Amino acid sequence: MWPGRGGADIVALEQFSHRFASRRFSCLLGPSGCGKSTLLQIVGGLEKPTSGTIRIADPASPSLARPLGADSVMVWQNLNLFPWRTVLDNVAFGLEMRGVPKAERQRRSRALVGSVGLAGFEHFLPGQLSGGMRQRVALARALVLERPILLMDEPFAALDAQTKIIMQEELAYIVERTHKTVLFVTHAIEEAILLGDEVVVMSARPGRIKEVLPVDLPRPRSLEMVNTKAFGALFDHAFHLIREEVMASMKQQERALSGA
Amino acid sequence: MTAARTALEIGERALPALVVAAFFAAWEIFVRARGIPAIYLPPPSSIAVYLWRMIADGSLAINLGVTLLRIFGGFAIAGLAGVALGVLMGMSRLVARVADPWIAALYPLPKIALIPLLLIWLGTGEAYKIVISAVTAFFPIVISTYAGIREVDRGLMKAAEDLGASRRQVQLKVVIPAAIPSIFAGLHLGMGVTIILVIAAEMIGGSSTSGMGYLLMQAGQVMETEKVFADLVVLAVVGALVVKLQRWIDRKVAPWSH
Repeated sequence: MWPGRGGADIVALEQFSHRFASRRFSCLLGPSGCGKSTLLQIVGGLEKPTSGTIRIADPASPSLARPLGADSVMVWQNLNLFPWRTVLDNVAFGLEMRGVPKAERQRRSRALVGSVGLAGFEHFLPGQLSGGMRQRVALARALVLERPILLMDEPFAALDAQTKIIMQEELAYIVERTHKTVLFVTHAIEEAILLGDEVVVMSARPGRIKEVLPVDLPRPRSLEMVNTKAFGALFDHAFHLIREEVMASMKQQERALSGA
Repeated sequence: MTAARTALEIGERALPALVVAAFFAAWEIFVRARGIPAIYLPPPSSIAVYLWRMIADGSLAINLGVTLLRIFGGFAIAGLAGVALGVLMGMSRLVARVADPWIAALYPLPKIALIPLLLIWLGTGEAYKIVISAVTAFFPIVISTYAGIREVDRGLMKAAEDLGASRRQVQLKVVIPAAIPSIFAGLHLGMGVTIILVIAAEMIGGSSTSGMGYLLMQAGQVMETEKVFADLVVLAVVGALVVKLQRWIDRKVAPWSH
């Protein structure tokens, strides 16, 4: 366990510890079923760990730990928008639960709906929107709470390639502007390198941290960077780590099948 | 080209009405050509005459009104009680545990079998007709409501919790709205059985002096077959209108589930 500095988070998983520094964009990369999503939910205070500890250090007094979930908000893989609520009411949900007066929560939600490019769609239901637009609603619903930590669980996995590129760029821009600390789960190497300040490569079950790759590509980043040497080197390295893990996890599954 | 297409479209829209008209025309011709006595199968034209007479002398309005009042009375009681108990069961494991054996035992019981008992307890008045229909409609409503509450997407509940909702807020702001489509499905089923039971209760020997079931029974006993058919036509139309009305309310209240 390392002491957190300036609102840093400490995540312990198996015998591995990692400090997710505040205001950094950390990508968790690993084969499916390595516990990435579970890890996020534990950090968000939505699941209880069977053992181990997670500390979110209080920026005011680093020796104190903040309650889990109080400073973070999730963006879910399947979005979990409320289908009976309009775009505006979905975004306002968190403020409503907190008891913010209606006029104020509408004003703040409207501003966020606009900032994610959905002005004019305030009164649409999620079912009437495209995948990319729904994704923006989910993002706005998380951002409106102004919590410092953003937990994102493969948020763009279901989007088509073009929409995904646009959403990645917009997310990078928003995170930079709002100084969020991000834990971003993905299984796409390219996405992890394009978005992250660091890529935490995880091993197959049991989930452990295999290696932490710092990414010091300049920002703002764009898709053209994929063709640069620096990007290529990071990609190859991550790819080899991941390949070993995918092979290992496939072997595990094979063994489980033949054992059955 | 476009003119041909619109003509085709109009034809397609008119087809169902044309088929209905053709059916009645065939019926009329068949009955007249074979000289079938009206007591067995009256021609549609004389059914229409009887229907018009019932409308003109006001007997249709009165009897239909009485039947509708009974239906909505029974349905209102069953709806309120069924939704309330279903929600309580969904929210509290204790309530579900206590209520479950009762529902499991009483749901498969044909409710018509309760008619003799209810006649002993309540006599042949309004109370008996409303109680028998309410008791019958109660079960599908409570079961559907309970299932809807239990099957709410856990992901939505977790998301709400993450956004700061308390347990109570999760139940009020997520679980109940998410269950609304199932609750409405239960109410649809409940309405269907309420109609059946009210008409059946009105038909039971001498228990009624008004209502569509009474008219139907009386017409049958004096072999006024035209009137029997006229009553059936009214019941079919009213049933279709009730279903349409429910769908319309569904779309107004829960547009996301369509």
